[in-house]
Amino acid sequence: MRNFVHLHSSSAYSAHFGVSWPEDLAAAASVDGDALAITDRDGLYGAVKHVKACRAAGIDPIIGVDLAVLEEGPHGLYASGRVVVLAHGGAAVAPGTGYAALCRLISLAHAGSATVGVTLEQMAAGVLDPISGTPALTVLLGPMSPVGRAMGGNQQYLLPRRKFRTWHRAMPAGSLVVELVNHQSSQGTAMSMPYAVRLLKLAQEFEVPAILSNAARYAKEGNAPTADVLDAARNIASLGKIEELQTSAQAWIKGASAMHALAQEIVFYAGDGDAEVKQLWANTARLADKCRLDPVADLGWKKASTPEAAVLGLTQPAQLELRQRTEAGLIRRYAGVSHGKLRDIRTRLETELATIGKLGFESYFLTVAEVSEMIRTMGVRRAARGSGASSLVNYLLGISAVDPIANGLLFERFLSDNRSTLPDIDLDVESAQRHAVYRRIFERFGDQRVTLMSMQNSYRARGAVRDAGLALGMDKGEIDQIAKQLWRFSASSFREALAEKPELRDLAAQLQHSRLAQERGEGAHEGREGQQLDLLVDLTERLDSLPRHISMHPCGVILGDSSLLNRTPVQPSGMGLPMSQFDKHDMDAMGMLKLDVLGVRMQSAMAYAVREVIRLHPSKQEVIAQGGHAENAPYINDAGGIDLDAVPLDDEPTFELIRSTHTLGCFQIESPGQRELVGKMAPTEFSDLVVDISLFRPGPMQSNMVTPYLESRAGFARPHYAHPDLVPVLEETHGVTVFHEQILHTFSTLTGCTLSRADEFRRGLGDPAVEPAVEQYFREHAAVKGYSAAVIEEVWETVKAFGSFGFCKAHGAAFAVPTYQSAWLKAHHPAEFLAGLWEHDPGMYPRRLLVAEARRLGIPILPLDINLSTGEYRAERTLSMEGGTAPQAVTGIRLSLAGVYGLSGTELKRILAGQPYDSLADLRDRAKLSRPTLKRLAQLGALDSLHRQAQHLTGNTANRSDLVAHVNSLPAHRPGRRTAPLEGQLALPLGDVELGTLAAHHVDLSPAETVRTELDLLSLDVSAHLMDSYAPLLKTLGVSYAEELLGLRNHSEVFVAGVRIATQTPPMRGGKRVVFISIDDGTGCVDASFFSEAQEKSGPLLFGTRMLLIKGLTRRTGPRGITVQALQAWDLHDTASLPRGAVLEGAATNGYHQRGSQQPPYVA
Amino acid sequence: MGIFSEAVEVERSPSGELVRLIWRGVSYSIAPHPLCWYERRRWWELETRVPPGEGVGVVDTQMWRFQLHREGIPDGLTLDVARYRPADRWRVIKIHEAVEDIFKEVLGGA
Repeated sequence: MRNFVHLHSSSAYSAHFGVSWPEDLAAAASVDGDALAITDRDGLYGAVKHVKACRAAGIDPIIGVDLAVLEEGPHGLYASGRVVVLAHGGAAVAPGTGYAALCRLISLAHAGSATVGVTLEQMAAGVLDPISGTPALTVLLGPMSPVGRAMGGNQQYLLPRRKFRTWHRAMPAGSLVVELVNHQSSQGTAMSMPYAVRLLKLAQEFEVPAILSNAARYAKEGNAPTADVLDAARNIASLGKIEELQTSAQAWIKGASAMHALAQEIVFYAGDGDAEVKQLWANTARLADKCRLDPVADLGWKKASTPEAAVLGLTQPAQLELRQRTEAGLIRRYAGVSHGKLRDIRTRLETELATIGKLGFESYFLTVAEVSEMIRTMGVRRAARGSGASSLVNYLLGISAVDPIANGLLFERFLSDNRSTLPDIDLDVESAQRHAVYRRIFERFGDQRVTLMSMQNSYRARGAVRDAGLALGMDKGEIDQIAKQLWRFSASSFREALAEKPELRDLAAQLQHSRLAQERGEGAHEGREGQQLDLLVDLTERLDSLPRHISMHPCGVILGDSSLLNRTPVQPSGMGLPMSQFDKHDMDAMGMLKLDVLGVRMQSAMAYAVREVIRLHPSKQEVIAQGGHAENAPYINDAGGIDLDAVPLDDEPTFELIRSTHTLGCFQIESPGQRELVGKMAPTEFSDLVVDISLFRPGPMQSNMVTPYLESRAGFARPHYAHPDLVPVLEETHGVTVFHEQILHTFSTLTGCTLSRADEFRRGLGDPAVEPAVEQYFREHAAVKGYSAAVIEEVWETVKAFGSFGFCKAHGAAFAVPTYQSAWLKAHHPAEFLAGLWEHDPGMYPRRLLVAEARRLGIPILPLDINLSTGEYRAERTLSMEGGTAPQAVTGIRLSLAGVYGLSGTELKRILAGQPYDSLADLRDRAKLSRPTLKRLAQLGALDSLHRQAQHLTGNTANRSDLVAHVNSLPAHRPGRRTAPLEGQLALPLGDVELGTLAAHHVDLSPAETVRTELDLLSLDVSAHLMDSYAPLLKTLGVSYAEELLGLRNHSEVFVAGVRIATQTPPMRGGKRVVFISIDDGTGCVDASFFSEAQEKSGPLLFGTRMLLIKGLTRRTGPRGITVQALQAWDLHDTASLPRGAVLEGAATNGYHQRGSQQPPYVA
Repeated sequence: MGIFSEAVEVERSPSGELVRLIWRGVSYSIAPHPLCWYERRRWWELETRVPPGEGVGVVDTQMWRFQLHREGIPDGLTLDVARYRPADRWRVIKIHEAVEDIFKEVLGGA
């Protein structure tokens, strides 16, 4: 068959435009062609995946872009059309030149402030190789170009010709071709045959080569309806209303004979003969040959590049430098270690250095060390995370703080000779400082060597159903209702989910009903709606996982040498710094060094807490007294500063707190499931936390490793070992395999292979293509070493079940550090710690739950006060009246003005600049607040102190409602200097006459009304709990409160009620879904688990309802832990449906509305 | 296009070209280079299901304009015929009066 190369095809990575994945396009193209171009819209988003797909399909990759062209219009630059730009390969120019020119041209298109695209002048300059002056790119002028688009207007011949001449004159010789597309659309549309004929005529007139493409958007014709839906989503309009719909369904990767027929049709109607068809065909093939890329020569495939030695400040080879620095680290870190031990450590270091040297990664480690040190000198908290902690080199360079020797961490898990991919070293920094850290990295290495990494945001069920509904023109409210019920399944299994998931029962019934009605021929209208629901499901499934847009990756920073911007196009990220168009899946193939610098809110919260401690207690003695620390604690400096990283890891009060399961706010161990686990496990030392964190993962949960571990640990069962040889490997976890490291040792022990080989085997587990070979090796070699068939069988089953799920111990150890540190802070400095949580909001729960936690801990929440509150949640010394005896000095938390709804940043700044205020008039004059803001402050009681102060002088009895009414009646603030007092004129100290004489008209607010106001304006219920107003109803229903549960017997039937604070569907044993719902009833948090039957009974209430009544059985989880296994749930507002028919007359319905941010957080 | 349409049968040569058309029991030869184009459909108002993996003939309908000749009769005839996929059924959509207009119409008076 003839060979045809498609030179214009958009992949799914052209967001809201392309339909098919690069693999599907390459597979379709390889049937009749030996190469394929990817030309995504305005970027190389799919280019690396395309190269991989082409290699897999055995065809040559070609890379280009479908780029917007800008022209000057009456309102500035606008996109007047699109052209395809293809990079030349090594056959036409020096290798890499074409691809580099393409990257730079695309970056340029994104560099402008307003519209993405390039002008003709920029294009003409950009296609040339700056060194040789010859074209490195070819521009395809086709039906969507400014020339093609001019054909639809009034001057359908003159205008296109004039535009073509402009392009022809401007573009360097040999850089321009005409692209003919024949989608056989109906007449008068861009992709119609007659337009192609006219473009061919222009090409002939100006003697520019014409080529044939199919401007493909999908691999197969049947994908076309999805393209329609994407057109609708892109235009944010229903299919019936948009004009920009594709003109036919022919934009697919057609075979060579179909393409040949299209060429013949164009040429025939142009009045030419076979010679012209041959010419067109040959031109296309020639251009394809010119643009074939060699991944290695043109793209630098898999060739790692790091910043140059000079940039790192190296005066000697990287190899020597690394050896010297690690030697120095060895002396520093292991000063007091015995001679023999030190010899072992040195051997380990030599092994690591040899591996690093073999792979040539010395400068990679030095680069990461440089970044880590730079962050440290910025005074920002940082911690290495992930498998990087396995490396002694990282520990010696100061990148990681976890001792890999003491914790038994294996270098082979991190890096080995068998694996040439760049390793991941992840750094956690304070979230509030993340952007500052990024900026510093750009400054340090130069912006030609650094860019942020991007990530693809793809359609998931909710977004997909919304856009599918939009395309069908369905009612927005109806779609929202459906979207709310879609919970964590991929859009592609929507129809399957309809049949299975209890929360979708209503929708499934509706679908069934309208289908039946339609079959019976009832009401045409109703029938149509039923069809729409069916279509909705199909279209939602079609959109599944298609990319929607790229955004800045939460932590990836790419570091390279000075050629980085010739290897990736960049575009501005949300924070302004440039980001690469490549995502994490592209890094390895492009040999790009990615450093994960992740902003961790907990690190910010802890840093904040430490600052608050020092602010209130500015000396070592005071901090020791307040926190109950040991005399002369070495981790507290003279000024009262706490070095969290130096805190000993054996603090008893910290472990007591963890065992109490009151771990709300503690890193990694605050979720309901984790609280249950720490309750059962009762950790007593740091290594327990490492195990705990590693156990709470999909793998261990699914393969039922938790129960045997807990039973052996508690001494109820004897640990079981498949063979005595495995005792040293599995002893620390009582015979249960928890860590990757243990799998490596197990493999090595039974088969005698090296640890790095064992890590290769571990990676093959769970991969159906590799696992059989791993199994064979394991069985054969273990048999050779003399293990019995039974032992081999048992160990293999464990290893196989473990799959690739388990946890790397280095991860667990790195995570356990902030876990321990946050629990330590909570145990010793709870108020300052809570203030830090409030300020940086790191956890899974809403801030309002922390109010309950503060109440439980006896920490006063101090109300908003115009003079005492700042823009932060601050710890404040105050007197507590709790307990009825003499007032006690305690630390409370003062609410922040930043939390007030609608208060602008500039208003906040003015308030803070003017503090303190002595009267309402003073506040008005100097803070210049808008009337709504002033009213909200009055409603929240922030002006109460001014009010009370004035009343103290006059004996006035007006209440807060009177104050609010007064503020509301004030004239709106008028900016201007007319009313400002003259400079130098002092106000008479008369007191606040205005507030001292308020008329007392209004009835004071009820506590429930006050709570409602607080929730509306602050998202917090401070003065009382929002459940308080439900107390009568709950009493009638016989509801038990959270604080009472621990006193109940196991398996008691109870009713609990409260406001939903978290919903989780963690992975569970056997793959069955369990829904965890946590509710807060004012006395604490109740964790309820819903298994299949309870989910069935609760149906749509599972995810949509905020106020819940739950019937269930208590379940003891440990000495201090209790949860509820739910039987059924009800909506507390739906009083008619509540059980026992016991509903109070006139019970509060509490119908306040929540704003978006107050929705229960759906957390993974 | 009329509301009423009639089914026709179409025959291909071994190499795939459309060569004969049978309409109302009469066999016509099809002139070479028949024009083919696609008309969009408002499928979201017409279809009940568009499951992933299917969709040929959903977004557009394949249309053909045939110039037909009957053996021994000098005057030709022009028919617009729709081909419905995936069922591959052919139906007459329009009968043209004169052949000469067609080029003009197609090329917009070029």
